[in-house]
Amino acid sequence: MMLRAGFLTKLTMRTMLVAIALCLATAGTSVAADTAEVDRYVERFNPDIFQLDENGKPVHEMKNAFSSPASDIAQDVATNNWFNLFVFMPFLILPQILLLVVIFKFRDRGDGRKPATFMTNHKLELAWTAIPCLALVIVSVPVWELLYKMELPPTQVDTNNPDQATIVKVTGRQFAWDYEYKHENISIGTDAAGLQEPLVLVLGRTTLLNITSNDVNHAWWVPAYGVKKDAFKGRYTNTWFTPTVAGVFKGNCAELCGPGHGIMFISSVVVTADEFDVYKSLQRHRADTFKIWNQLQRGAGETASDADLKALVTKYFEKDASDGRRFALRYWIAANFASLRRKPQDRALHDDVIRTFQSKRDQLEQLIATVLSSPKPVASAE
Amino acid sequence: MEPIAPAVIAPQLEIKRYTGIMDWLTTVDHKKIGLMYFWFVVIMGLVGGAMAGAIRVQLATPGAVWEVVEAAHLNGTDVPFNLFSENRHLYNQMVTMHASIMIFFTIIPGFIAFMNYIVPIMIGARDMAFPKMNAFGFWLLIPAAILMLTSFFVQGGAAASGWTAYPPLSLQGMGTNPGQDMWVFGVHLAGVSSILAAINFIVTVTNLRAPGMTWSRLPLFAWATIFVSIIQLLATPVLAAAVTMVLMDRNFGTTFTIASQGGDPVLYQHIFWTYSHPAVYIMILPGFGAISHVFASFSRKRIFGYISMIYAIGAITLLGFMVWAHHMFSVGMPTILQAYFMYASLLIGVPTGIKVFNWLATMWGGSIRFTTSMKFACGFICLFVIGGFGGLILAMVPTDISLTDSYFVVGHFHMVLVGGSVMLLFSMTYYWWPKMSGHFLSEKAGSWVFWLMFLGVFVAFFAMHISGYAGMPRRVPVYYADFKFSNYLTTVGYFMTFIAALIFFVDLLVSYRRPKITVDDPWAINDIQQSLEWATSCPPPVYNFAVSPPIPVVEQIAHRGNNP
Ligand code: HEM
Ligand SMILES: [Cu+2]
Ligand SMILES: [Cu+2]
Repeated sequence: MMLRAGFLTKLTMRTMLVAIALCLATAGTSVAADTAEVDRYVERFNPDIFQLDENGKPVHEMKNAFSSPASDIAQDVATNNWFNLFVFMPFLILPQILLLVVIFKFRDRGDGRKPATFMTNHKLELAWTAIPCLALVIVSVPVWELLYKMELPPTQVDTNNPDQATIVKVTGRQFAWDYEYKHENISIGTDAAGLQEPLVLVLGRTTLLNITSNDVNHAWWVPAYGVKKDAFKGRYTNTWFTPTVAGVFKGNCAELCGPGHGIMFISSVVVTADEFDVYKSLQRHRADTFKIWNQLQRGAGETASDADLKALVTKYFEKDASDGRRFALRYWIAANFASLRRKPQDRALHDDVIRTFQSKRDQLEQLIATVLSSPKPVASAE
Repeated sequence: MEPIAPAVIAPQLEIKRYTGIMDWLTTVDHKKIGLMYFWFVVIMGLVGGAMAGAIRVQLATPGAVWEVVEAAHLNGTDVPFNLFSENRHLYNQMVTMHASIMIFFTIIPGFIAFMNYIVPIMIGARDMAFPKMNAFGFWLLIPAAILMLTSFFVQGGAAASGWTAYPPLSLQGMGTNPGQDMWVFGVHLAGVSSILAAINFIVTVTNLRAPGMTWSRLPLFAWATIFVSIIQLLATPVLAAAVTMVLMDRNFGTTFTIASQGGDPVLYQHIFWTYSHPAVYIMILPGFGAISHVFASFSRKRIFGYISMIYAIGAITLLGFMVWAHHMFSVGMPTILQAYFMYASLLIGVPTGIKVFNWLATMWGGSIRFTTSMKFACGFICLFVIGGFGGLILAMVPTDISLTDSYFVVGHFHMVLVGGSVMLLFSMTYYWWPKMSGHFLSEKAGSWVFWLMFLGVFVAFFAMHISGYAGMPRRVPVYYADFKFSNYLTTVGYFMTFIAALIFFVDLLVSYRRPKITVDDPWAINDIQQSLEWATSCPPPVYNFAVSPPIPVVEQIAHRGNNP
């Protein structure tokens, strides 16, 4: 019971709508969040990065390292970049101004003015050699430190401690990314609908990426994090950063890798440590939900037989009937449906999904309720 | 003044003279070869430009079009017009071939066209040192271009791995898809052509200068030719090596670039950029040289800082060989190497800046006539400075890591290549076309060409910088809706430049019907410039000079008696 309550408190505390969260927490005995709650988590952990609002603008905007940095590295890169721009700016502006002056001042007006005859001016020439050199010296100092910072995470971060560092092996393949979390033992990649899953990271927790490829070269790039690294088959490249802003960040493969290069999208979600615990729990139960999912979405328009489904659901809860497990089942069914609905190319399926989603989901919710309320004793260890 | 050296007259041998088309096919005259280069480049430029059009039409919208197409496929209804509906593979072929054609068949030979035509005349030579080799070099380009263009029609289509042809992507489709192999052979042939031209120019400028044409009097265009030829000679074999590794890995079971078998894909990138960074200077240095003459001519002044211009080109040549890895900051290099390549790249900005300031000083105090050629030259400074500024931003490693392989890079190199090299080529054409063809191009049409080109380039490529800053990757056929507006702008800008190109093309054809130029110096500039190409007829006679012309040129001008 303690565990259950603990899980529930965590779950509710992290809801995006605080009101509902409070409501549930005070209810205390309530064991299930409503379906809206499930959907909110789906939106949190697997957002639709292509969603447009009614004005045709993206719901999750693209953020980049320079104007909306979302990691410590990106923040430094932005600062450094603005500094460089500031130092270089005169060399952009000055020639343009001089050009305009020359154009307006020295045009041939047919007044018989004799053109000048000078051909050198050593002082001036020295100036426009020396001053740019000076500018280069100025920009080269601050960048030095940042260069080395980008190489390795700070030594005080204990990379063996899962609370301090997330280590992810990133594998590119034509045309998707696989992620393996080292400490958490989670493997993700493409979801039930074959769409890219987001890389879920923890706010303020140093993230190390070990990047490689299964086939051709790729490059992992989420602009807001300020990092990009090529992926090569047969070798590892590394990069690191610490997310400093929670939210949804979009990216794309940044090395031409074949016909699907343009649709090799990347998304990444930064969540709080508590939310990440929920995510881990969801991932732990994920594999067990597949059978139920397969049964549920069988065939276009076909409804799954109640008996078959019930057997599967019962089996699912035999192992463990904790709230976490229950939530995971509801989450994954909703998440898989959400993905199917997003997948652009399956028009026929798409329509079917929209049409039958609600009834199938109701069917399942009902089953879960019946199975769990049946008197059969279940182990409640999480 | 000493009396003119005794005339060396071409021996009157009994040789068969062809006329008409056979004359062009068999000619070894550097001027005819120069013109053939020129027309080849014009045609290839239009082809490459049309490919760019295909790309820009696809990118005008984020790719919502895709979904419409796919829905249509699923529902069995008619597919709406979409350039790349069948496969995104074709899009990648377009991107690859657009770049390859523009680089190997437009910009590089574009400058060679002028170097071929003008440099021997400028230095007072009667032809190139190796006229037959010169012709051979040109004719090699034809099979090279045919190989690349026809590869669209072989199984699997043309090469689709970008003009950089990074393995392992360029190894995919081994044995079944010859497009990539044809591309490699095309590059080989174009490379041999480049090398032959380079040798020829070096020998010509070193040995065939007229008496009195000392190194310190050599026109800057000839100096630039020397330096560019050195780059071509040293760098092009490296490119051949890189693409040959791809060829061998594809066809002969070697594993130069396959990591799992002991090769290294990053090694390929190093070798490729060892050529391809210097290559970007092959694509601009000749123009740097030539444009100095344009500025001086139309400002009615002599070139400012002649000596420092030579040193600057020399420094760019030298440094150009030492910065290649700035294209590879994301491959995971040791930090100290990144720092080195960053500093070296920044350093290139200095001689480049010197040149820009020298040009401005050349105009300063002048009496400037804004002919179309001069307009292009001024437009070049404006755009090139923006492009070079982008280069400086990219040279800073932390920033580059965010921007590499994004549209910012595409913006940068189009700003320096179209805003730079292509503007230079236009300026040079307007400047030297009267000499080369004996007819003026229309100044009125030229004004349209310039303004459409200038504004189009600015809009199209500045917008690309914005897309890149916002996070749009390069070489993609679809993109997030966030980048909609800047991409739309780029497409608009593209159409402006393409209209300009068409007007220019028509004007080129029409120019032949204009009255023949009868003076030596149609721009009336040679009283100050004293350059040999303006001291001979338009176009110059076969063998250019019956006698070695006197240097300095005043004598020659006085002798021919039409000093304005
Ligand atoms: C002011 C001096 C310049 C500097 C410091 C500079 C710097 C750079 C850097 C750092 C990159 C790599 C970007 C990346 O891929 O991450 C780059 C790309 C490029 N630059 Fe420049 N650049 C300069 C001038 C030029 C000029 C004059 C040209 C040619 C006329 C040129 C042509 C190119 C091209 C073609 C690429 C991209 C090649 C590709 O990836 O396909 N650059 N430049
Ligand atoms: Cu890719
Ligand atoms: Cu470069």
